[in-house]
Amino acid sequence: MEEVILKTGNLTKKYGSQTVVDGLNIEIKRGEIFGLLGPNGAGKSTTMNMLCSITRPTAGTIELFGKNSEKHKKEVIRRIGYIPQELAIHGKLKAWENVELFTSLYGIKGENLRRAVEESLEYVGLSERRNEFAKNFSGGMKRRLNIACAIGHQPELLIFDEPTVGIDPQSRNFILEKIKESNKNGATVIYTSHYMEEVEAICTRIAIMDNGKMIACGTSKELKQMVAGESEDITLEEVFLTLTGKKLRDYAE
Amino acid sequence: MIRYLIKNNFKLMLRNKAILAAMLIGPILVIAMLSSAFEDMMASYESTEEFKTGYRISEDSIFSGNMEEIKRAGKEAGIVFENYPDGDPKAIMEQNDLAGFLVIEGETYTVYESADYETQGKILEYFMGQVEKQVSGQIRNSMFPKEEKEITLPVQKLEFMPAVDSKDYYGIIEVVYFIWCGVVSVAGVLNSEKRNGISQRFQISGMSEMGLYLARWVPAVLTTVCETVVTVLLTVALFGISWGNNPLTILVLLVTTMGAMAVGLLLYSVFQNLAVTIVALFTLVWFMGFFGGSFETYMFSTVSDSLKNLSPIYHVNRVLVEYSCMGKSDYTVSSILYMVAITVVCTALTIFINTIRKRGKA
Repeated sequence: MEEVILKTGNLTKKYGSQTVVDGLNIEIKRGEIFGLLGPNGAGKSTTMNMLCSITRPTAGTIELFGKNSEKHKKEVIRRIGYIPQELAIHGKLKAWENVELFTSLYGIKGENLRRAVEESLEYVGLSERRNEFAKNFSGGMKRRLNIACAIGHQPELLIFDEPTVGIDPQSRNFILEKIKESNKNGATVIYTSHYMEEVEAICTRIAIMDNGKMIACGTSKELKQMVAGESEDITLEEVFLTLTGKKLRDYAE
Repeated sequence: MIRYLIKNNFKLMLRNKAILAAMLIGPILVIAMLSSAFEDMMASYESTEEFKTGYRISEDSIFSGNMEEIKRAGKEAGIVFENYPDGDPKAIMEQNDLAGFLVIEGETYTVYESADYETQGKILEYFMGQVEKQVSGQIRNSMFPKEEKEITLPVQKLEFMPAVDSKDYYGIIEVVYFIWCGVVSVAGVLNSEKRNGISQRFQISGMSEMGLYLARWVPAVLTTVCETVVTVLLTVALFGISWGNNPLTILVLLVTTMGAMAVGLLLYSVFQNLAVTIVALFTLVWFMGFFGGSFETYMFSTVSDSLKNLSPIYHVNRVLVEYSCMGKSDYTVSSILYMVAITVVCTALTIFINTIRKRGKA
């Protein structure tokens, strides 16, 4: 039986009278690449924040690695690597200094830290540019550095929040390949993006959220069948639009 | 590991060249530009020639045994005391062209000042403040004698601060003033953390609030200490400012920096906005400096003693100026304790506020 690495039970988040996440039940098994889709304001980022203990749920439970994340917060969050949507790096630090700083937060030091920094930079293809200031990097390089800063402590669960926004196709392809490589090396991945083809290309299972609720979950094939029956002659984007509607969403997440 | 965070935050602060330059050049420019003004301000007190003051003292006064010594010390400070046992002080002052009149009764004294001799009046006030402090100290000591039971008030030599050179006074005071503004050196780190959403990474790593605080406070102190060392050396080399040879000067400057950074970080945790924090900090420092002798010399300022004592800048200024001209100061312990207390209280408050805020956000 495959190990369940993440399980939420009726996960709910309310801000005042507004319910942002409404009774969410997700189960992610070790080794999966789990895609989380949803229009703006669907509750994806809030869900991510709750999984990473940045935001506390109003109700419901989160089990990470078989443990209640509230009770065992320090233990479980150290096994997570979170790659935020915004670039969380210091422009006036060199590439290796950024990785050193954020990797050291997880208690890694000395020779192990030095090795982790080198491996992380190597992994994202920035070894040659290790001594350059992050502010001088291109958008794609910054994105890759952003990833390097989150993987040095070798997390078991990687959470990517739209990691390919605003970068060139080569960098995007590089990042997607690296996500697949991480997964092959044993990491479980949660991935959010607005690019349907990316999600379809790398995710083993996809959940679609809208108005704080999960409205569909399954493999790409299962989602297509859910909407178009056996024909499957439909794209993931069409599935998404059919399930969430074509009305513009102008929420701030 | 917090040391890596401290190390990298220190690098960030040192790489913020604009702020670093402003903090280094700022005090030097101020001293250079205002040195002649400082000289004039100080000269208004120093150039005062010997002046006459009337006095009257009751027999039961605690000062009675010390009057001869007070007169001797007064002469040293340029005050000639003349005894007028009877009559209205104001009329006597007018008739004899006196700068002031001192009436000492029991445990209190009253200083009358002539409107025509404003500066001399301030010098007399300061002089009597010093006398009162020293006589009270002698009484306290004699109230609890080890063996003798009789209260005695021995006539001892009263010590008065020798004249301070204006460049030394204002040079030292300006450096202290800039130390209090030193928290702007953290601006680079705070700006970068806020702009880049780096606090999320800290939250996810489970870093403690204490660790995060120290990761800002320690490099801020280090940066400001480095700036201060360079500035002090520049003040010596460029203006010949004498900092004295008391090694405690270094300790006083260090604890001042520690306290000043703690106050700055507390203000930032309250306002969560760098611009507002800097405005609030500069306002606070201005008031503390106003009461503490950063503008008017603390010796002859019009500010009351209780307000002066409230200002941490006053204690630090006084210690450093006295080290410079006398090599010692009675304010050493009070200034160090004051700054350590400020550091501890502000640190605890900042951590408390940040913890509450984080819980609230979650």
